[in-house]
Amino acid sequence: MTARASTGVLGLLLATGIAAGTHAETFRWAGTTDPQTMDPHAVSSAPVLGFLNNVYEGLVRRGRDMSIEPALATSWEPIGDGAGWRFFLRQGVTFHDGSEFDAEDVVFSYERASSEASDVRSWFATVSDVIKVDDFTIDVMTNVPNPIFPDSIANWMMMDADWAEANGAERPDKESGNHATLNANGTGAFVLSGRQPGLETVLRPFGGWWGEVEHNITEATFLPIQNPATAVAALLSGDVDLINPVPIQDAERLSGQDAVKVIRGIEARVIMLGFAHEAEALKYGPNTGDPNPFRDVRVREAVASAINVPAILQTIMRGSAEPASQLVSPAMRGFSTANDMRPAFDPDRARTLLADAGYPDGFSFGLKCPNDRYLNDEAVCQAVVGMLAHVGITAELDAMPVRNYWPELREDNFDMYMLGWSPGTFDHEHPIRFLASTPNSEKKLGSWNFGGYSNSRIDELLPMIQSEIDDTRRQAMLDEVTALYQDEHAYVTMYVQPLVWGAQSSVELTQRPDNFFILRWVTVN
Amino acid sequence: MTSVRTAPDRFNPMALRIRAMWQSDLAWAFRHSPVAMVSFVVVVLLVSGALLAPLVAPHDPFDPATLNLMNGFTAPGTPNAFTGESFWLGTDDQGRDVFSTILFGMRISLLVGFAAVLLGMVIGVTLGLIAGYRGGWTETIIMRVADVQLTFPAILVAMLIFGIAKGFTPVEYRDQIAIWVLILAIGLSDWVQFARVVRGATLVETKKEYVQAAQLIGRSGTAIMIRHILPNVLSPVLVIATISLALAIIAEATLSFLGVGAPPTQPSLGTLIRIGQGFLFSGEWWILFFPACTLLALALSVNLLGDWLRDALNPKLR
Repeated sequence: MTARASTGVLGLLLATGIAAGTHAETFRWAGTTDPQTMDPHAVSSAPVLGFLNNVYEGLVRRGRDMSIEPALATSWEPIGDGAGWRFFLRQGVTFHDGSEFDAEDVVFSYERASSEASDVRSWFATVSDVIKVDDFTIDVMTNVPNPIFPDSIANWMMMDADWAEANGAERPDKESGNHATLNANGTGAFVLSGRQPGLETVLRPFGGWWGEVEHNITEATFLPIQNPATAVAALLSGDVDLINPVPIQDAERLSGQDAVKVIRGIEARVIMLGFAHEAEALKYGPNTGDPNPFRDVRVREAVASAINVPAILQTIMRGSAEPASQLVSPAMRGFSTANDMRPAFDPDRARTLLADAGYPDGFSFGLKCPNDRYLNDEAVCQAVVGMLAHVGITAELDAMPVRNYWPELREDNFDMYMLGWSPGTFDHEHPIRFLASTPNSEKKLGSWNFGGYSNSRIDELLPMIQSEIDDTRRQAMLDEVTALYQDEHAYVTMYVQPLVWGAQSSVELTQRPDNFFILRWVTVN
Repeated sequence: MTSVRTAPDRFNPMALRIRAMWQSDLAWAFRHSPVAMVSFVVVVLLVSGALLAPLVAPHDPFDPATLNLMNGFTAPGTPNAFTGESFWLGTDDQGRDVFSTILFGMRISLLVGFAAVLLGMVIGVTLGLIAGYRGGWTETIIMRVADVQLTFPAILVAMLIFGIAKGFTPVEYRDQIAIWVLILAIGLSDWVQFARVVRGATLVETKKEYVQAAQLIGRSGTAIMIRHILPNVLSPVLVIATISLALAIIAEATLSFLGVGAPPTQPSLGTLIRIGQGFLFSGEWWILFFPACTLLALALSVNLLGDWLRDALNPKLR
């Protein structure tokens, strides 16, 4: 073990030395959100998974255009008639500590990622078993035919079974954390060499990486900078090479500068408001303890009609975002064109609906918001508070950093909340599985459906969608689900978040629509 | 200090009193200090603007129902492109009139400032009197605690108290009590100055004959401290209180700027500056500039008044 570790270190030193000879570059980048854990199975959120994609790898990965390509598996094929998938693993791959990657690690990573403590277990909702065939072949067996399974596991990252066992991190721990929260041992192109939560995270190239090196980075440091203006100042002064995101209000001005460039795209992320569907009573404000009005679909529709999305896009988002009619953006597979209409802004209708529902004088409730997660999240929430006040509903806004936010939502501490969702599979089925199906821990469904929205027909359709191979029939079912959650106003989908990165002009990179920053595609000239 | 020049009384007692005040040394010093007069006018204008905010302000920025998001980012004096409405000092990102937010924000800043100084003064003067009059162990304990606290920057102490208080309050009440926690935090970080000065002055006064006379006739210690010593140590307290007011306003702004003070729904000047800071690069300068100017004017004029008061009350400078 020690011998292996030292070869790993030696390889690392060699790689550093070689790279230093050619184009030695340290690279610093900043984002609003610090990835709260280094454990790839503990938190299913883009800042964590996006960051860890540089350190850990899955059986498959996504290319620059989001297409699926081989990573730790070199090829795969369906087993029988929809019984599962067989993956042939890449040979000669080592983890950062020097130990070999083989089928044992895949089986362990499946057990870990699908365990009770994992946040990503709904990825494996259709999986019945993962079987080691030989050292470099595994079979993933599914309950029902799952034609898109290889497309859905790009973020299922492989962890070394021995390393996890030796360090007591066999299961993820999202609350108190364990060894894997601060340390990492993946197979990826970069090694985690320093981690100070909230301050900085340092990555170094992995000399023993199996892939072809395209970057010229010798060291990369991620810095969480919560204040957008500070991040812009750091970029302009050359302190950092990349910031994600650029505050929308500053994009215009940065574009005009020679030393920096602004890289824009449409993100896959839909920003929405969620309700407490299940809660019996209101939890916040002067009406605490009163029956929960959001159980009434008329109240939810009133909220949807009261929010002036075009005004939010015009002012706060400065015209650089698109309204969202459903849980996914039009660029995603399975987008329901038939249901591409979002509720119109109509405060009079909202007041009428509220009066019909028995709230002619409105009511008070608590709105939870993150303030360092999405572009201008707090400002949007404040605007929502104002718009709801116009129709007589008083929202008490509680905005907080994400490290407090997700735990609050998990504990059901909200009446209404803000959520952004980017489908990891780039498919409409993904948010339906996570957000629209009834929460079911056993079946690994609805794990981010905090409000407990439930519709039996959607629950019935989801497995059918997952196993349907015919695109037309699949789309028909997706259309039906979309119409169902739209009619019930399960969520108020507001807009598709724009993707705005800022970088020094000398930096060449690839911006992926899932907002993942992939370090191995970066070159600094 | 308040010597009344004798003159034949042809007026009613009230007029006489005003006349006496006008002719007092303090008033004389005031009338001959242009800096003091200008500062005084600025303070009076700002304070009355804040007090009368609901009457003076064109909008109520705390009532979200009156806001129109489409008014967001309107430049000062120019009509908004969508609504055609015009705002004297422009609007912020939520379409709130900056002038109104400043007036309402100043209420929070002044409330916190005055209340915190009052709290600090009550604690400091009481402890200073006890330490100076009693002496011995009491004095040692009080003054050593004061010394220890003095080694920490006041803003750190305030942040510590703020953090502890926040930890003990349930989340749903945090916004409601944030202002009171601020007052407590700044007040408790600020009593030391009062205590030290009052203790020093008390030590001097205690040796004087009128105090000894009061002790001889058997008055209680508490009575001597409050009735006899306190009035004679008040003038330096007044000076410190004025200067502390400026410092407390700045401390509040600093805490709010750092995001640990007044909540965004009840913005103080510091919160407004924090919000405005996000728009500095994008050219919406007015969101930051006007609240910052107001804070500057308020703190500077209170400070100048305090300086003048110190000089005016200092017999050596007369």
